[in-house]
Amino acid sequence: MKSGKNALGEEQLGAIERRLVEIISDFGYLKGRSAKIAEVTAYIYIREEVTQQLLRQLTGYSLGTVSAALKELEQLGVVSKHPSADARGYLYKLAGTPSQVLSRSMTDVQEYLSQTSSFLEEIEAKLSKQSLSKKQGYGSLRRFLDEMNVLIPAYQHILQTFQAAPSGAGKEKEGAASDQ
Amino acid sequence: MTSSSAIGFDPEIRQIEREIVGFFAEKTPEYTGRHPIVATVMAYFYIRRNLTQQDLRKLTGFSAGAISNAVRQLVDINMITREMVPGTHTHRYKMETLPFRSPKYFLQTEKTLEKRHKQLKELKDILDDHNDEMRNLEGYQRVYAVVTLLLELISSVPRFMALIEEELDRFIEKGKR
Repeated sequence: MKSGKNALGEEQLGAIERRLVEIISDFGYLKGRSAKIAEVTAYIYIREEVTQQLLRQLTGYSLGTVSAALKELEQLGVVSKHPSADARGYLYKLAGTPSQVLSRSMTDVQEYLSQTSSFLEEIEAKLSKQSLSKKQGYGSLRRFLDEMNVLIPAYQHILQTFQAAPSGAGKEKEGAASDQ
Repeated sequence: MTSSSAIGFDPEIRQIEREIVGFFAEKTPEYTGRHPIVATVMAYFYIRRNLTQQDLRKLTGFSAGAISNAVRQLVDINMITREMVPGTHTHRYKMETLPFRSPKYFLQTEKTLEKRHKQLKELKDILDDHNDEMRNLEGYQRVYAVVTLLLELISSVPRFMALIEEELDRFIEKGKR
C-alpha cells in the first residue's frame, strides 16, 4: 500500500529517531546511567508509551535486558506500568510529559543539597570535639566545612527563588535542569 | 601502610576525612554522573586543595593509571589546575575554589551543550526539509516535538547558569557583610 515516497520517508524518520536516541542517551549516560538503560529511556522519552516487545525491536536488546531496564526505570519513577488493552502484556508510559521528566533534575539538585547538608551537620558535630582542633589536618576540614556552610544556603536560596518565579523564569529553570 | 596513608593528617582527622570523601564518592556519581574514581579524587581536592598524583595514590589506593586519568579529566573541565614543581618532573594539582561555587558543577560544560545543540539543529533541519515526505508518518510529530523541546531547553542553559552565578555571588556577598 505504501508509496515509494512514503517508504523513503519512513526510513528517514527511523534514522532520525535513532540519531535522536543517541543524543538523548548521551545525556542519560552522563548522568551515570548505563548505556542500555540510557537508550531505553531515550526511546521512552520519544515514544511516551512502549511495550517490551517494541523496545526489543527498537533496541535489539534481549527480553531480559529490556525487562530489567524497565524495572529500574519504574523504580526511579521515570515510567509507570499499565496492563495493555488486550491484557496480554504491559504498557510502559512515561511518567509525566518529557518536559516534566527532564525538569525533575532540579528536584534532584535539591535532594542532593539537603542530603549533603545533613551529612555535613554530622561531620560538624564530630569535628567539634575539643581535642581535635589542634590536630594536623583540622584546618583543612574546617575550611571545607566553612565554605560549604556558605554555599549550601546560597543554593537553597536560589532554588527557592527560581521555584517561586513566574513561568518565564520557570522555563529557564527547566532548561538548565534538562541537560543533566 | 596505615600511617603513611594518613599523609600529614592526624589519624582521627583522617578518619573524618575518609567519611567526607566516602560521602561525595557515593553521591557525586548519583547526581552528576561522574565516575566514582573521579568523584573520589575530586573530594580529596575539596579538602586538601593541593596534591600530587603520588599523594592521591597514597590517599585513595587507586592505580597510577586511574589517578592520572582522573586528574586529566578534572584539568580538562577546569576544576583543578596543573603546575610543574620547580626543579622536578612532578606536577602539583590545585583546586582554587570548590566546584559547588559554580552551577556548572551540576550542569554540563558549555562545550558539550554546544555540540548537542548542533546535533539537534541538524536533525531539525532534516525534519523541516523533508516535511512533505514525513509529516503524515506515525511518530513524526513526536520526534519533531522532542527535538524542538531539547533545542529550546539547551538554548536556555547558558542564560540560566549566568543567572544562578549572579544570584550566588549576591547571596554570598550579602552574607559577608
